[in-house]
Amino acid sequence: MSATRRAFLKSGLALGGVAAASQLSAPFVRRAFAGQSSNSVIFASGEPLTGNWDPTSHTILGQINFEGYVFGRLTKTPMRPENPSEIQYELAVGHKVISEDVLEWSLRQGITFHNGKPFKAADVKATFEYASQPGKSAWYPGPVEVEIVDDYTVRLHTAEHGYPATAYILLASFLPIMSADDIADGAISQVPNGTGPFKFVEQSGDETIMEAFDGFYEGRPKIDEFRFSYMGDANTRVLALLGGEADIIERLEPEQHDTLASRSGVRVKRTVSTENKYLHFRCNKAPFDDLRLRKAVCHAIDRSLITEILGAAGHASSSYVSPVKLGGSDIANYPVYDPEQSQRLLDEAGYPRGNGLPELEYITSTGFYPKTKEYGELITALLQEQGFNVKLTVLETAAWLERIYQPESGEAPGHLVDVGWATGSPEPDLVLRPMWHSSQSLITGFKDDEVDAALDRQQAEGDPAARLKLIEEGVMPKLADKVPSLSLFTSVLIHGMQENLEGAYYYPNGPIDLSKASYS
Amino acid sequence: MAFALTFLLRRLSQGLVIVLLVGFVIFSLLRIVPGDPVRIMVGPMATEEQVEQIAEDLGLRDPLPVQFGRYLADLARGDLGTSFIKATSGASVAGGRDDGSATRAQVLDLIVTAIPFSALLAGLGVLLAIAFSIPLGIAAGLYPNGWISRLTFAISSVFVSLPNIWLGILLILVISVQLGWLPAIGYKGIAYAVLPAIVLAVELSAVIVRALASAVASTMQENFVRAGIVRGLTMRHMITHHVLRNSAIPMLNLFGAQLGGLLLGSLFVVEYIFNYPGLGLLTVNAVFQRDFPVIQGVAILTTAVLVLINILVDLVSAGIDRRLQY
Repeated sequence: MSATRRAFLKSGLALGGVAAASQLSAPFVRRAFAGQSSNSVIFASGEPLTGNWDPTSHTILGQINFEGYVFGRLTKTPMRPENPSEIQYELAVGHKVISEDVLEWSLRQGITFHNGKPFKAADVKATFEYASQPGKSAWYPGPVEVEIVDDYTVRLHTAEHGYPATAYILLASFLPIMSADDIADGAISQVPNGTGPFKFVEQSGDETIMEAFDGFYEGRPKIDEFRFSYMGDANTRVLALLGGEADIIERLEPEQHDTLASRSGVRVKRTVSTENKYLHFRCNKAPFDDLRLRKAVCHAIDRSLITEILGAAGHASSSYVSPVKLGGSDIANYPVYDPEQSQRLLDEAGYPRGNGLPELEYITSTGFYPKTKEYGELITALLQEQGFNVKLTVLETAAWLERIYQPESGEAPGHLVDVGWATGSPEPDLVLRPMWHSSQSLITGFKDDEVDAALDRQQAEGDPAARLKLIEEGVMPKLADKVPSLSLFTSVLIHGMQENLEGAYYYPNGPIDLSKASYS
Repeated sequence: MAFALTFLLRRLSQGLVIVLLVGFVIFSLLRIVPGDPVRIMVGPMATEEQVEQIAEDLGLRDPLPVQFGRYLADLARGDLGTSFIKATSGASVAGGRDDGSATRAQVLDLIVTAIPFSALLAGLGVLLAIAFSIPLGIAAGLYPNGWISRLTFAISSVFVSLPNIWLGILLILVISVQLGWLPAIGYKGIAYAVLPAIVLAVELSAVIVRALASAVASTMQENFVRAGIVRGLTMRHMITHHVLRNSAIPMLNLFGAQLGGLLLGSLFVVEYIFNYPGLGLLTVNAVFQRDFPVIQGVAILTTAVLVLINILVDLVSAGIDRRLQY
């Protein structure tokens, strides 16, 4: 066999390739592109951020989560089921009810915004007056005037606007404090400038980068860098966590919870959320303008089967608001599964065994909440068992979103609608009024003088204990009696995280407090 | 030369009609399916008046032919419109009562930004597929009754049966999560393109390897192969200089007609699984968020690319085999 120049070159190249490959350890590519600091946290969000940083410009949960890192609030409300209305002071150090229409806040001194400007009463005044303007944000009960008593004391006045200032005791934890200068010159839309533990650095595509704020009032966070990264697909988020490309992931499906719980290196955290899931009746049109039929539906549904389907993503509750909200304890007269009672009510309404009822459209979504299609099919079957002629319409998010709300003229589509309602405060009015007060009734179109009176009465009560009593003994039993909706269960937020990431607090509405978090 | 010019003119004018037809169908379908883009843009709490005002400002309440006419006029000027959802920063402006400060991105810019990522992924996928399929396909075609042919058939049957979603997740779990060899989610460098490219390559290989084996086997039966051998040419020379060249024509057609579509379709799924920031991820998110201008822009662009690929393939085929110059 003769050696040719071509054969020699071929052999040389092959040998060189083998030698080079042997020098590269298996994960070489991964290491080369790891890039981020070892003391950084990558959060894989199920929702993208908007390009407008004004906290009053949106109702997006992902953006509310982001604001939790950058902005401070007067108070924090951890919303634990054992003490839902617990208040911890953050930018405030105390509050005093001067009268029903006047609420005084004493502010913390020595705080600075991320741009170096000191935090003072003028910022609180600007924030409250800006955010409470009509049409600005859906969360606040109405306009408010803020009186600056001194640089570190403000008084909220609401007498002119027909609601008590005490409404802001719990709502204060849900209002990011902005700099007065940013509001005045419009910079609040361009750059998020708060007093929170992390400072905005830049946004690039679906990733938003923040760094620890040296001047944070409780001390610089131990985590140096925080990356908020949008990953729309839940499976992708799980794989990113398992592959070490994300440190915290959110919005897991129940099966994913079970999978991650059995793996080493990662942990899962279940948090009973502020969100209840409802089966809303279209109360302003037939046939559910008839209370007997609404009750017949409620008694036809075995809610324990729904929580079985939901597994880790559901928490059994029998109230119109979550147990982490004020007044969210179970209601004594809440409708229970009782097929005989359902039949009796159908008879009374003139539809024995459902005969004569029109086809009822039940609208639900897929891809937004866990298991809606699955338990939607269960509810449909349970209702059909009692003789209701129910057609289940499962829509993807965009189409479902279009059909949820009552239009200003004409009738809303469908007869039954599946919707959840998540808010960032223990304040129950954030749910009760938009859902069932006749001035709003966004989904049900429900109008009832007795329920309105009960809702107005509790809102006007300044004493928290007396208010709780009015909610538990007035509003909730009345709602359970009139059933404009059936609250099916309370959602559970499921987060996954690297096992060695400790010290984070997971709020029941989504934000995560990483100011004390670190890697062990 | 005259043939090429006539051919190009004829096929380009036909292609333009196809692109316009596809554009109109997509345009109409988007406006028929449920899901109001304006509701997504402004969020659930916006009033009906706000929704209607924005819809009118965007021209979404005009009759369909008027909207399409306006779109074509803009298209003729090279303007694919402005995204409903994406801001220039890359963020999503959906659900916010936008005051205009978050400038919405031009669709063309979004597409131009995404194309290099998809091109890299598609290119890598095609390269891997070719590297795997060509030796196997040729060997199977040369020995149609041998074990290599049976093996090739088995491999391509397995490959064609693998759902790309399943394969993608499996590869991430094994290669990225368990072994830690390659990164998988997002894009921070070329290494992030390797795993999704393997998924694409598996799907493409299944088609290429069978087509190539069949083309080579069929060419080997041609009289000119026997004639060449009789005239003293070596089998090796016949294969490398004549058989492969003649087998290339059906392969070119396959690339044009099938692989283009297959590749584009797979890119959408694969990019979504791997959160890979290319044209596929842009489009899937646009569909979920009813970002009409982006969906239309991508649809028109991909249709135009497919039409051009087909024209190119036909032109090259005619260059290889002059009998095709009809």
